[in-house]
Amino acid sequence: MKFISLVGPPNAGKTTLFNYLSGKNIKTVNYPGATVDYNSATFRKQFNLEAHLVDTPGIVSLIPASIDEVVTVQGIYKNPEFGVPDVIVVTVDASQLSRHLLLVKELIEAKFNIIVALTMIDILEKKGFTVDCKKLSNELGGVPVLKVDPRRGKGVEEIIETIKSKLDVGFNPEDIVVIDEDNKNLIRIYKEIEEIEKKVISRQNKEENSKKSINSLHEPDVLTLKIDKLLLSKGIGFLVFVLIMVLMFASIFWLAAPLMNLVDQFFGLLANWTVEVLGKGIASDFIADGIIAGLGAVSVFIPQIIILFLILGLLEDSGYLARGAMLIDHPLARLGLNGRSFVPLISGFACAIPAIMATRTIPHRRERFLTIFIIPLISCSARLPVYALLIAFLIPSGHALLSGAILASIYIISITLTLVAAAIINKMKNKIIRAEDKSSFILELPTYRMPKLSVVWSNTWTSTKTYIRSAGMIIVTFSIILWVLTYLPNVNPKVDTTNLTPEQVEAKVQIERINGSYAAELGKIIEPVMVPLGLDWRVGVAVLTTFAAREVFVSSMALMFKITDTKDNSIQRSILKSMKNAVDKEGKPLFTTSTIIGLIVFFIIALQCISTLAISRKETGSWRLPILQFVIYSGGAYLLAVIAVNLLRAFGIN
Amino acid sequence: MRTASQLDNGESSTIVDVDYNHPSAKRLIELGFTPGQSIELIGKSFFKDPIAFSIRGTVIAVRKNEASCIKVR
Repeated sequence: MKFISLVGPPNAGKTTLFNYLSGKNIKTVNYPGATVDYNSATFRKQFNLEAHLVDTPGIVSLIPASIDEVVTVQGIYKNPEFGVPDVIVVTVDASQLSRHLLLVKELIEAKFNIIVALTMIDILEKKGFTVDCKKLSNELGGVPVLKVDPRRGKGVEEIIETIKSKLDVGFNPEDIVVIDEDNKNLIRIYKEIEEIEKKVISRQNKEENSKKSINSLHEPDVLTLKIDKLLLSKGIGFLVFVLIMVLMFASIFWLAAPLMNLVDQFFGLLANWTVEVLGKGIASDFIADGIIAGLGAVSVFIPQIIILFLILGLLEDSGYLARGAMLIDHPLARLGLNGRSFVPLISGFACAIPAIMATRTIPHRRERFLTIFIIPLISCSARLPVYALLIAFLIPSGHALLSGAILASIYIISITLTLVAAAIINKMKNKIIRAEDKSSFILELPTYRMPKLSVVWSNTWTSTKTYIRSAGMIIVTFSIILWVLTYLPNVNPKVDTTNLTPEQVEAKVQIERINGSYAAELGKIIEPVMVPLGLDWRVGVAVLTTFAAREVFVSSMALMFKITDTKDNSIQRSILKSMKNAVDKEGKPLFTTSTIIGLIVFFIIALQCISTLAISRKETGSWRLPILQFVIYSGGAYLLAVIAVNLLRAFGIN
Repeated sequence: MRTASQLDNGESSTIVDVDYNHPSAKRLIELGFTPGQSIELIGKSFFKDPIAFSIRGTVIAVRKNEASCIKVR
């Protein structure tokens, strides 16, 4: 089958054209690093064209400027799956001809079989100009040049026809030459482009003074300049930036909270309903506590992730996100990060998985890996229920302000630790992450515009689906494994049922089942590790279960310290009660101020999320970084927790 | 000679040369920062770095250190 490739600078409508031609809905991002990212599809049936269609990451030039870009450019010369493209369709923003023709010139020089698709004609015409395709085609040595509006599908038929006739003629892939221009040659090419632009662009209304023509085309959008004067300024600009950040956090946490509760309750009800319908037994326990609990653990974050992506999408589509990256670049650069680390770091407050995926937009490898490295330190929302439970134990109910203050300080500690970690790793230079080329921040600031809700929503949905696919499988699998470990082999333990209500019998059975389970055996092996923290194997098992997802800690605690009193409807209150009653072997209370603070310290730092490690492996291309992350964060968390517990005890705080 | 990083807010000038030895020179040239082009510094970040230029009908933010390889009139 033939292979058609779409190539073009960023923001030239390449992906819109891809989606129109393939009938898909995809967002292609620049992906520097270990692998080439591209989306492939086939043409829609109506076009009657049997060929592969590939959307490549946006590039400015065929000459890689950094080591990261080498992979991207190689993927354009020769796709790892489909080889050399039979035809390349280059998208060119007609209102940006003087910049975008560079790539066209380079593709011609490399002897590719190309078609130029001129997009954004409406913007050009709004500015009062028109472009002559025939003249442009002549200037480019006969390369077909066509106007297209992929949003409305105008001109797409002509593109298809031209692709077909190009395919009929055919070309020899062995003619392709890998080009490498020095700076002098680039400037010469630009001179030629400026000449071409003068010849092919003209005023729509001939009577007007045509002298200023090209110059006025080279002026950016006036409204954008006016808005930037405000939004980049010291006073208002800073205020708006802070305000947007605060609003974003507020909606990630407070807007999402009721929705997350709804999802949680739904899966709780579903589990109860399953037990009611199937009756008590191993099958219903497996479905309710294994599968449904796992699905619930995945789904509970969906509202938050949707809200996060929605806000980020709105900011991106409006044009503000690029400004945000620019505004924060300077302080981040001092930590060895980049302005483009900004969005991934913020996403980390919801979930590390989409956050690590979002680092793909950081062009510099070292900065990208450093960003990936520190993301797990940011307190993701899965830690929130854990903090809530532990704080509730420390602070009696009715002191909402105090518990709020403690939660806020946990977040401040977490942010500080993240930045300190970045600074330390940056100082260690090449020990942890190799530096390969010089840091850079060059970013095009797009024209401000009203965000298109349909586009933002479909991108949000695509990203959310990616999260569900990548994290979902791991979390559900682990949930099932954990269920097996806590349920087997002592499925039906014998208990003394005299003078007990059926509920009490059930609770006793569950306690006995866990005490004789594989998890308990595992827990007893790791008990020596828990002793310095002042805790026992039951908490050890609960911590082990958090490797599926941190929030599982709460339900594991409920499972491990099974409550005999079922009259209380609030799970949290009953867990707290049984935690207060829990004693160690010597009969002293297990959970004290010091051990709880130790646990909080542990949860702030530890990397106990298999999905995060898996995604870190995938995005960095090796196990090196995830293993280092795991050892440093989890080891450090344990050490600091032990220190915290023993310090507190030394000062008489039990 | 002045460099683009020394322009004042709102000041326009014309590029006369680009320092090829700077590692970012190639990327800047590819984005259209070529001799003869007029540029305007349209804004600075509130930390004064990076700075944003209007060039060839678009706005591009560049770190000061990188903009210093662009020589202007």
